[in-house]
Amino acid sequence: MSRHDSDPSCLDRRQFLKYGAGAGAAGLLYSSGLQARPLSTQARIVILGGGAGGMAMANRLSRRLDGARISLVEPRDVHHYQPGWTLVASGVWNPDKTMRPNARFVPNGVDWVRQPAAGIDASNRRVELGDGSWLDYDYLIVATGLQLNYQLIDGMTPELVGSHGIGSVYASIEGAARTRDAIDAWIAQGSGKGIFTAAPTPVKCAGAPLKMTFTTLSRLEASGRRDAFQVEFMAPGAALFTQPYINDFVKQRFDDQGVTRRHHYRLSAIDPQAREAEFTFVGPESEFTSHHELREEEFSREGERKVVASYDFIHVVPPMSAPDFVKASDLIAQDGPFRGEWLEVDIHTLQHKRYPEVFGIGDVIGAPINKTAASVKAQAPVVEANLIAQMQGQALSRRHNGYTSCPMITGIGKAMLVEFGYDNDFAFLPSFPFIDPKDESWVAWVMKDRMLQPAYYAVLEGQA
Amino acid sequence: MTVTGALTILWYALAPFLWLMAAGAALLVAVQGLAHLRGYRILGYRCPAANLAAIAVGLSGLWWIPLFTQSRLAYVTSVFDWVALLGALIGLTVIAWLLLHPLSYLLRGKSPRHA
Repeated sequence: MSRHDSDPSCLDRRQFLKYGAGAGAAGLLYSSGLQARPLSTQARIVILGGGAGGMAMANRLSRRLDGARISLVEPRDVHHYQPGWTLVASGVWNPDKTMRPNARFVPNGVDWVRQPAAGIDASNRRVELGDGSWLDYDYLIVATGLQLNYQLIDGMTPELVGSHGIGSVYASIEGAARTRDAIDAWIAQGSGKGIFTAAPTPVKCAGAPLKMTFTTLSRLEASGRRDAFQVEFMAPGAALFTQPYINDFVKQRFDDQGVTRRHHYRLSAIDPQAREAEFTFVGPESEFTSHHELREEEFSREGERKVVASYDFIHVVPPMSAPDFVKASDLIAQDGPFRGEWLEVDIHTLQHKRYPEVFGIGDVIGAPINKTAASVKAQAPVVEANLIAQMQGQALSRRHNGYTSCPMITGIGKAMLVEFGYDNDFAFLPSFPFIDPKDESWVAWVMKDRMLQPAYYAVLEGQA
Repeated sequence: MTVTGALTILWYALAPFLWLMAAGAALLVAVQGLAHLRGYRILGYRCPAANLAAIAVGLSGLWWIPLFTQSRLAYVTSVFDWVALLGALIGLTVIAWLLLHPLSYLLRGKSPRHA
């Protein structure tokens, strides 16, 4: 179903765009008209996943390719604006604000396959669907997102979120709302201990565990009883964040705000009834970075020392990986830090290293950073240009610089607009010269609260 | 970013507030239009009370603009924060004046200068 067929309200927006563009200066219109002309092709293109990356690629390719048969494999009807989940779990946003129908974004001419993908047969260039049928492709874009592995924490399931003092912003939009409720209940209790955790694997929105800590601190301070609450942060490595300046800043701020930091511990088990969490010491050699190498089978071998801590509230961050069906395919990384866990791509061209007709975008790829919607914004034009170059037998000229962005919420009402990339020890890549990424700022908060969601939807439509 | 891209972002950002903007614009046009029909001229009428009230409305933004964004004035700290907030306050003051100035003319009937 196309967005035109399904969403009459979209006509208003399209009219707005049409008339707005029509009223624009001729020179500006000319600049928008400089986009490359469509390429004629009969290629079969399959896009796995209709999240930020998949939807952006569906829109971009439907405009750039004339005659291509594009299939978007996405079973869900609802599109979730996941960057808003921390605001939901912090009690700032209503959950409804993060949801839109997928039909609004699926472009005309794209075949929306409303099934989950079940497998990838890369050698034969085909994808298995949930009903057992196969979808052949000439080119494949893997945009599946990632998988939350709560099962790697003994006793933990996503269904527990919201009960027994357990929160987890990542679980789902319902989980984010239940996390908010669990924090409410803890604060209403008037005292007690809260434990915030991080995962020993790459995670999407790596700032979210920190943001949840900061927004909860804001709420505890607003309760007027901050001193009655203990707050601990358990980190699997020495670092809390990839970008060095922000890492130091967050550590210092935690210290200033009375957060007890304990490093080199991962959450290994939880006993909801007793409200106890078991942490396993993973050692100083297990430096936590976004490209931390950790395989599922290694979990059971690591622990030598365990600590059991009681809690009144705990924020659980699960280990994450590519979805199982991607892990089971030949597309998974065969060696290096992402082996067995993440899609193997060249982190600059985003092309698969062994299957040149395959590209990756978004959370699923094996890259040192880049599991954010902001990364998708930077990756989408690279994948578009390089896929078309591949189709034309040309060299891949566009390179992704690793751009990612984290509006680091340091309290409800203030944030730091942190943007950085692969190079120069994750050096800052600020988009706005007038906003210092090292400063906490009201404007950065307003951007997070008001402007990034509109920009996200523009990315989905392939317009930004 | 293309013009269409910028407009797409603008659309999504403003969509929740279109009704409010339309209602405000309608009120402004109605008050200005009615006042002009009754002889109001923007530079020919003086009303210090309306001026002060407009400034008061603008200054009130120091409190409620951060609150509207679920923040607080104490978090307006960087230079650009203040530039943005002052811009909003000035805009608010001008809009308040464009509304209150003709409104006072309608309520008071004549310009003090013309009395």
